[in-house]
Amino acid sequence: MKKRQVVILSRQPKAVTDRMLSNFKPALCRLSAFILIAFSLGCTHEPEPWGTLAQEHKPAGEATVAVPRPVRFDLPVPQLSDTQKPLFYAGRALAQQPWVKAPTATTQRDGLGPLFNARSCLACHLNGGRGEMPDKAGESLFTAFVRISVSGLDEHEGANPEPVYGTQIQNQSVSLSSQLGIPPQPGELQAEAHVSVRWLEEKFRYPDGHETVLRKPEIVIRDLSNGPLQSDTMMSLRNAPGMYGMGLLAAIPEQSLDALADPQDKNSDGISGRRNQVWDPVSQSIRAGRFGLKANRPDLPVIVAAAFAHDIGITNALFPHQPCTQAQPLCLKQPDGNDEEGTELSNNLLNMTVNFVRDSAVPASRLGEQHIAGRQVFYDAGCQQCHQPSFVTAGLPGAEYLGQQTIWPYTDLLLHDMGPGLADGRPDFLATGSEWRTAPLWGLGLQRKVTGGRLSLLHDGRARSVEEAVLWHGGEAAAARNYFIQLPMVQRRELEIFVEAL
Amino acid sequence: MKLNHLAIGVATAVFLTACGGGSNSSNDDATNGLTTSGELNLDNVRSLLDTNADIALAAYNDSVATAEELQDALASFRADPSEANLEAAKKAWLVAREPYGQTEVYRFRLSPIDSTDYDSEDGLEGDINAWPLGEALIDYVQVNTSDFGDDQIGVTANGAGVNGGGAVDSENFDDTSPKTNIIGNTSIVIDQDLLSNTATADDEHDVIAGYHAIEFLLWGQDLNDSAGTTDGTDRDEAVKTEGASNYAAGGDRPLGDFIPSYDADTASGNDDVDASYDSSVESHRRHKYLEVAVEKLIADLKSVRDGWVEGATYRTAFTTISSQAEAREKLAEILTGMGTLSEGELAGERMQIAFSGNSQEDEHSCFSDNTHRDIWLNAEGVSNSYYGTYAGYDSTLDGTDNETASAVNGYGFDDLLASMGELQLKSQIETALSTTAAYYTEIDTAARNGSPFDVQIMAENRTSDSSVAKTIVALNAQSKIIANIAEALDISGSVVDEEASGCDTESPTESCD
Repeated sequence: MKKRQVVILSRQPKAVTDRMLSNFKPALCRLSAFILIAFSLGCTHEPEPWGTLAQEHKPAGEATVAVPRPVRFDLPVPQLSDTQKPLFYAGRALAQQPWVKAPTATTQRDGLGPLFNARSCLACHLNGGRGEMPDKAGESLFTAFVRISVSGLDEHEGANPEPVYGTQIQNQSVSLSSQLGIPPQPGELQAEAHVSVRWLEEKFRYPDGHETVLRKPEIVIRDLSNGPLQSDTMMSLRNAPGMYGMGLLAAIPEQSLDALADPQDKNSDGISGRRNQVWDPVSQSIRAGRFGLKANRPDLPVIVAAAFAHDIGITNALFPHQPCTQAQPLCLKQPDGNDEEGTELSNNLLNMTVNFVRDSAVPASRLGEQHIAGRQVFYDAGCQQCHQPSFVTAGLPGAEYLGQQTIWPYTDLLLHDMGPGLADGRPDFLATGSEWRTAPLWGLGLQRKVTGGRLSLLHDGRARSVEEAVLWHGGEAAAARNYFIQLPMVQRRELEIFVEAL
Repeated sequence: MKLNHLAIGVATAVFLTACGGGSNSSNDDATNGLTTSGELNLDNVRSLLDTNADIALAAYNDSVATAEELQDALASFRADPSEANLEAAKKAWLVAREPYGQTEVYRFRLSPIDSTDYDSEDGLEGDINAWPLGEALIDYVQVNTSDFGDDQIGVTANGAGVNGGGAVDSENFDDTSPKTNIIGNTSIVIDQDLLSNTATADDEHDVIAGYHAIEFLLWGQDLNDSAGTTDGTDRDEAVKTEGASNYAAGGDRPLGDFIPSYDADTASGNDDVDASYDSSVESHRRHKYLEVAVEKLIADLKSVRDGWVEGATYRTAFTTISSQAEAREKLAEILTGMGTLSEGELAGERMQIAFSGNSQEDEHSCFSDNTHRDIWLNAEGVSNSYYGTYAGYDSTLDGTDNETASAVNGYGFDDLLASMGELQLKSQIETALSTTAAYYTEIDTAARNGSPFDVQIMAENRTSDSSVAKTIVALNAQSKIIANIAEALDISGSVVDEEASGCDTESPTESCD
């Protein structure tokens, strides 16, 4: 494939943007539809698979916001009405302000834990973006946790909880000693364990002789509160992914994703993306998975409600149980923050938080002419086969404004086998121990501004750069990764700069 | 609405565009009746920035001074734990909030309250003013299985002191179970380390420090849900507001919680030694907590204030401009603070959530029922930034600023807009600010007449024509016009967040790194 000219951003981008939107919008929609068809047929015919810089400058279409300073991913999409905006911020308050130990007079804000990983959503999803892994061995995890399960399936054919500790290790407790970091008194509820990682480093040598250092985490669990984990316990370290743009991802039509799936790899391109099939507690049925690092949640309400219940310990109608198993009587005995609905988070407030997540905007891309070379590398390597650049959204009920947008998330939301290097060995519904959902790339580079210049990419935050993340790709992505490592360093760097500008 | 609003303050607050936003210094867009030449007068901008910094310095200075007066009042209360001195300490707390509330417009722009280096989000705000408070970690709280159900009596009727009244948080536990709060667990040393290390835990805040911790210890939980004036013997006839400072009563912690107290050892000349302090006595521990918390509050406020002093690194960086781009960047910072406080923080996270959450105590100053002042003062801060004025603060709690020693009257956006001929916009924003003021004054008046904010948001009062609802709408409307000012000043088109993008819009062909 040879390089092609693209529309170059003029010195007056506002004017260009206007023209693009007012005159070219229908054409643009057709173009995107065509792109999807072209890819699924393996067709390499014109036109170019990428958008113009002006189009991709707005990765979420009209739901894009200019890059704020300080950088944050928790700002409302511009289309919200005057009556919706205060509700968005109310939802953000629920996601941002720390939940507190029950009981308090602030009845709608208590009920933390008794066991938990974080006091608020944005404590891990920093400014609505990703979490950050500690470099130091032994340092307690704050934006990451360890999912656990044992062999077998739960009642809905999902991951089977560890009989004492459940489906994740909560490394905090509401007890005073836990909060103050002092030795526990007898009878005080202890955190389930202290969890940290030790990084195992290994050198990687490119064919051109250049070397770089990769690291992978070894999970270190000590001070387990209720005895050892069952011997067949499977563990999966998870760093918090970004929360922004999820409404737009939710608005991608099911058939667009289904069309991309190729579980049997019928087109023999070595890539067999497939959809997870997961339990939906609302409809009480199995549905296609869309959210979560293994696509184990069907939609926004379920993933938000699950995170409230398991990560913060805030019960709600979808997940009404405290994060305690029957083997943890002291946990079950703690006061709850229930309201008259019998849960800690009413449906009204849950919906408000879900709508906050749905309506969190994607910041503008930083793409310019200087990224054209890197983009070429991206497409030549075949990254776009899984990191699907573009979709046209359908409306969501109650958020029609998120529909009919041409978006550039760079994900197909499908499960792919990523090879043994990234495997966690912990299945989740249909997802095997080596399958992961393609991560969206939009806004990725801005994360550096939130986390002090650092990146913690991939499911467990091991990759400190796009380069490291690419090098970890295996399985279905092995061909793209192998293409990458053969490139001269200049081009490898160009790819990184392109991805960080999305 | 124009499609290219993306590039302007789309989310009402003002954002700086990144690489690709490009420069558009000849904005002849007439949609808002704006006709800017595109060039800002740098001397005018310098005047505006200096005034903005002067106001910050004055308001933080007053915050420090009133916090020191609160410290004195708490010391007097410790020396003589009488009802009169408890009342005086509460009043000193309310006064301390008057200047501080006006400083909150300096948030959301990486000024010293939010950032120690004008870049990282590592400021002291969380230690000073965070909320909701983890009150159950600090001292006893009312326990009932349904949490704020029908059985709320307890603290108000508990004149006998903590344990005698039975309103102790270990009620749900065995007799052998530990005291699970800092006051109750007498093995915990109450000192600066405790508050400093815990209030700013690495992951986020355990909120046990700052104004609201002191508020909780002075007032206790507000378990009243009635606007009636009663003797406090039951929930339906809860203690209410008439006799209290500011007509806001909120919680009613019994004086017995503070008796006996201890004497500071003034003879030794060593403030750190309190001769008769006994760490196993809960009332001593409450006084000690107050002593430590106010000391930390003062230190934190001073640290923020010092960033605004003439010659300080932050102030110099903020007020020094030598180009159009720098001028616009600094103006954008101010407008970001004004817009974000108006819309997201005050209207959304502080008012709408309480208004729509059916949660009576989901309010900023829930123990003292002083939330009507938080709203007033936050909104007044926005107005201060616009007009370039600071009128001082109110030490008599009658709603009028009588402490005017540090008042500022300088160059504001009103002057800048006038100099640019943006008279229509000037008139729009001034009308919007007046409208907001009219509605927050209604909230304040109602509170002073016995219906504090937590009563104003009760179900039967949650109507779209209530003062609270109208204030929310007015704040949103004003933040939109603030975004329009940003557009008129052509702020978003020319300011590049160079670090986020790593590339230069003036030379788009250059490498980003």
